[in-house]
Amino acid sequence: MQSKSADLTFLRRTNAELIAILAVCAIFFVVPVLLNNDYLLNKVARYLVLGILAMSLSLSWGYAGILNLGQAMSFGLGSYAMAMTLKLKTVPVHTGPQGLPDFMVWNNVTQLPWFWWPFESQAFAILAGIAIPAAVAAALGWFMFRGRVTGVYVAIITLAAMVVLNLVIIDQQQYTGGFNGITDLAQLELFGIAFDAYGRSTYYLVTICMTVALLVAYAFTRTKAGLIIQAIRDHESRVRYFGYDVGAYQIAAFALSAAIAGLAGMIYTIVMEFASPTFLGVQLSLSVVVWCAVGGRQSLLGALLGAILVAGVQGALSESATFLETWTLVMGGLFVLIVLFLPKGLAGLVASLWALIRQRPLRSVRGVHRIEQTETGA
Amino acid sequence: MNPYLRLSNVTVSFNGFLALNELNLDVGKGELRCLIGPNGAGKTTALDLICGKVKQSAGSIAFDGTILDGLEEYQIARAGIGRKFQVPSVFRDLTVSDNLRVACAHHPGVLHNLRPGHRQADDDAVERLAELVGLTDQLRKPAAFLSHGQTQWLEIGMLVAQNAALILMDEPTAGMTAQETRKTADLFLRLKGRHTLIVVEHDMGFVKAIGDVISVMHLGRLLAEGPASEIESNPAVREAYLGHGGITNA
Amino acid sequence: MDQLIQQFLTGLSIGSILLLVAMGLSIIYGAMGIINLAHGEFVMLGAYAAWFLQVQFGMGLLISLVPIFLLVAAFGWLIERFVLSFLNNRPLDTILATWGVGIMLQQAVRLTAGGELRYVKMPEALSNSTAILGVQISLYRVFLLVASLVLFAATWLLMNRTTVGMKLRAIIQDRPVAASFGVNARRIYGLTFAYGAGLAGLAGALVSPLKSVSPEMGTGYVIDAFMVVVLGGVQSLIGTVASAFILGELSGVIAFLQNDTVAKAIVLLAIVVLIRFRPQGMFATRVRA
Repeated sequence: MQSKSADLTFLRRTNAELIAILAVCAIFFVVPVLLNNDYLLNKVARYLVLGILAMSLSLSWGYAGILNLGQAMSFGLGSYAMAMTLKLKTVPVHTGPQGLPDFMVWNNVTQLPWFWWPFESQAFAILAGIAIPAAVAAALGWFMFRGRVTGVYVAIITLAAMVVLNLVIIDQQQYTGGFNGITDLAQLELFGIAFDAYGRSTYYLVTICMTVALLVAYAFTRTKAGLIIQAIRDHESRVRYFGYDVGAYQIAAFALSAAIAGLAGMIYTIVMEFASPTFLGVQLSLSVVVWCAVGGRQSLLGALLGAILVAGVQGALSESATFLETWTLVMGGLFVLIVLFLPKGLAGLVASLWALIRQRPLRSVRGVHRIEQTETGA
Repeated sequence: MNPYLRLSNVTVSFNGFLALNELNLDVGKGELRCLIGPNGAGKTTALDLICGKVKQSAGSIAFDGTILDGLEEYQIARAGIGRKFQVPSVFRDLTVSDNLRVACAHHPGVLHNLRPGHRQADDDAVERLAELVGLTDQLRKPAAFLSHGQTQWLEIGMLVAQNAALILMDEPTAGMTAQETRKTADLFLRLKGRHTLIVVEHDMGFVKAIGDVISVMHLGRLLAEGPASEIESNPAVREAYLGHGGITNA
Repeated sequence: MDQLIQQFLTGLSIGSILLLVAMGLSIIYGAMGIINLAHGEFVMLGAYAAWFLQVQFGMGLLISLVPIFLLVAAFGWLIERFVLSFLNNRPLDTILATWGVGIMLQQAVRLTAGGELRYVKMPEALSNSTAILGVQISLYRVFLLVASLVLFAATWLLMNRTTVGMKLRAIIQDRPVAASFGVNARRIYGLTFAYGAGLAGLAGALVSPLKSVSPEMGTGYVIDAFMVVVLGGVQSLIGTVASAFILGELSGVIAFLQNDTVAKAIVLLAIVVLIRFRPQGMFATRVRA
C-alpha cells in the first residue's frame, strides 16, 4: 500500500517538471504584450533560440553523458539550410541573370551547385534543417560509438568535426558565401504569414518552436529509452550486460539532440536575417557548454534558462566594451567554479535548496521511523 | 546430452600471463554450481569470459546450443546470460526503482523503448522485486545512498529482474551479515531450477548450504569437481587451497 | 630541387614551432593525464611578457627568456594548486575547467594590455637570413629550430636523468606505491604543471617576433599542439618530436598544394580517424589517480 502512494508522489514530481516547462513557455508567450519594442523583442527571440540550443546540449551532455563540444555544428547546418532557401527566394531580385545568389555571381560561378537545387523548395529546406543535422550526427555517432569512443575523446572528435566543417565552409566561399556567410535573405512565408525578424510573428514562431522542442525533449527523457540513456551516462559498460545495445542508444540521443539544435538553427536564421560560419564556430559551441553548465546540464529547463540569462546579460552589456570584457572574465570564473563544485549548475542548486526546505518539517517524524526500523533489524 | 554451458579448452592470456589455461567446464541446466579456488585461480576471469567482458585467446564457449565466441556483451546478455559483479555495480545516480526498471530488459531495442509512458508491467515487477530484496522503503532513494549490503541486494534484485537463464554471481555475499547471507542462500535455492546459477564464493558455509556440485579452480584450470564431501577430502584441493583443516576451517 | 629543399625547410620550421608549443602540453598530458585547454593562453602569456619586458624595460628577447619562463611557470603552479587539484579523476571536467581558466586569462590580458595587436622585435643578431643548401632561410627560424631541439633535450634529461623526473615517473606508474616511498605527489604534480606551463610561455616568447601578439593568439596554438600530442602518443617525448615534424612537413606540403585552410581541415580529419582507430598509444586514459 505504501508503494502506491510512493508512486503517486513520484507521478506528481514528474508532472512538476512538466508544469514548470509549460509555465515558462506561457510566460514567454506573454512577453510581447508587455514589451512593445520591436528591437527588444527581436533580442529576446534571439536569446530564446540560444536557449533551445543549450537545452539540446543538455539532452546529449546531461542526460546521455555525451559532451558535444561541436553542438554548434548541428545548429549551423540548420541555419544554413534555412538561409539557402531564403536566399534562393531573392532570385532574381538580388542576384545575377542566371538565377544565382549574388555572392556566387561575384565569385564568377556560372551554375548553381547541385547541393543548392533542392533548397528551391522551402518545404525541403525546413525538413532538411532538422534531418541533415540529425543524419550527420547519426553518422558521426555511429563512427564514434560503434568504436566505443567515450568521454574525452568524444568531446575532441565532435569539436574537430565542427572545425573541419567550419573550415570547409569558409574555404569554399564561392558556393557558401565563405567568411561573410549568406546575407540579404527573403522573409520566410508559411501559411500565408511573412516572418519579419522584428515582428511578433517571428517571436511567436520562436516560442512555439521552443515549446515543441522542450516537450519533445521532455517526452524523450520520460521514456524508458530516456532512462536507459541515463543509466549509460552513469555506468556505460554495466548497461551492456543487461542486453542493451549501448551504441544504438547513444546514437539515438545524439541524433535527437542534433535535430533540436538544427531546428534552433533554422529559426536563428530567421531572427538574425543571415547565416554565418560563426554559427558553426568554436566560440559559439563553447559558449553553449558554458550556458548549459551554468544553468544545469541535467535539467532541460535549467539549460534553457541558463542560456537566456547569460546570453541576455551579455547582450545587455554589449553596449560598453569594458563591461562586456569584464563580464566575460566573471563568467569564465563562474564557469570554473561551477565545474569544480556545482556539477548540476544553478538548477541543481535550486533543487538542493528546495529539498532542504521540504525536508525540515518532516525530520522529527522521519527520525522516529528510523529508530523503529533499526530495532526490528531491517 | 550436451551440457547447458560448456567451456572447451579455453585460454585467456593477458600479455603472456595465462589467467585461464585450457579450462574445461560443463554446467547442466538448472544447476547451482559453485566455483571456488584460491586467489588468482581465474574464477572471476572465467565469469568475465562467459559474459563477454574478456575475450579468449583460444578455445570455445557454447551456451544452450549457441556459440558465444566473438559475440558482443549485449548479444551474450540477450542470449540469456546475466552477471553480478564482484564490486557491486549499480547505477548510483538513479533511484532504486529506476535501477530495477533498467534491469527489466525483456525488450532491449531502442525503438521499442522510445514509446511514451511507463508500462504498468514494469511498475508491478519493480514493486515485487523491491519486496523480494527488502528495498521497498528505498525505492525513491538514489542507489548511491544505499549501504554496501543493500547495494549487493539491489544488484541481485536487478539480476532477478533481468530474468536471465544463466546467472553468474561473483562473490554475492561479500560484506553481508550472517542473516543477509542466509537470506541470499534461500533466494538462490529458489532461483535454481528455473535458472542456472554459477556462484563464485569464498564463504564456505554458504557454498556448502547451496551447492550441489562444487568446481575447484587453480592456476587457470579445473582442479577438482564434485559434491562438497568429495572436495573436502580431495588432497590436491586441500593442498592448493584449503590447508589441512577441511572446508569448514577455510 | 630548390623548391623541394625550400619545402623541406619550411616544414622543419613549422615543425619546430609545433614542437615548442606542444612540448609543454605533451608533458602535462603525458605525465599527468590532464588535458589543458589553457595551454594556448600560457603561450599567449609568454608572448605578452616578452612584449611587456621589451616595452617597459627595454629587455631584449633572449635575455627575457628566463624571467618569462619563471613567470608563466608560476602562473601554471597557481592554476594547478587552486583549480586542477580539485579535479582528480574527472577528465571531462578538467577540459572544461582549464578552458574556463583560459577564457579568464584571455580576458584579463584584454582588460589590462588592451586588445590591439602588439609587436615584439626580433633580436638584431638573428634578423638576417642565411643560405642553407642553397636556399635562403631566416636566421631566426634556424634559431627556433635549434632552440626547440635544445629544449627538448633539456626536458628529456629532466624526465629521465634527475630525481624529480624519476619521482614523476614513479607517480605515473603507481601513485599509492610512490607515496608510500615518501614521494609527495601533490608537489610533483605542481612542479610538473608549472614546468609545462613555463615551456609554453617560452614558446610564446620565442614565436612572438614572427607574428603579432594578441589575446586570441593562443586558440590556434592549442589546437595545433593537440594534434601533435594526439599523433605522437602519450608519455613519449620522442613521439612528440617525431609527430611535430611530421605534421609540420605535412601541413607545409598540403598548404603548398592547396591552401592553409584545407591543410588544417585534412590534418584534423586525420586526427579524428586516428583517435577512433588507434586510441592506445595516443590518449590512453591515463587519468591522474
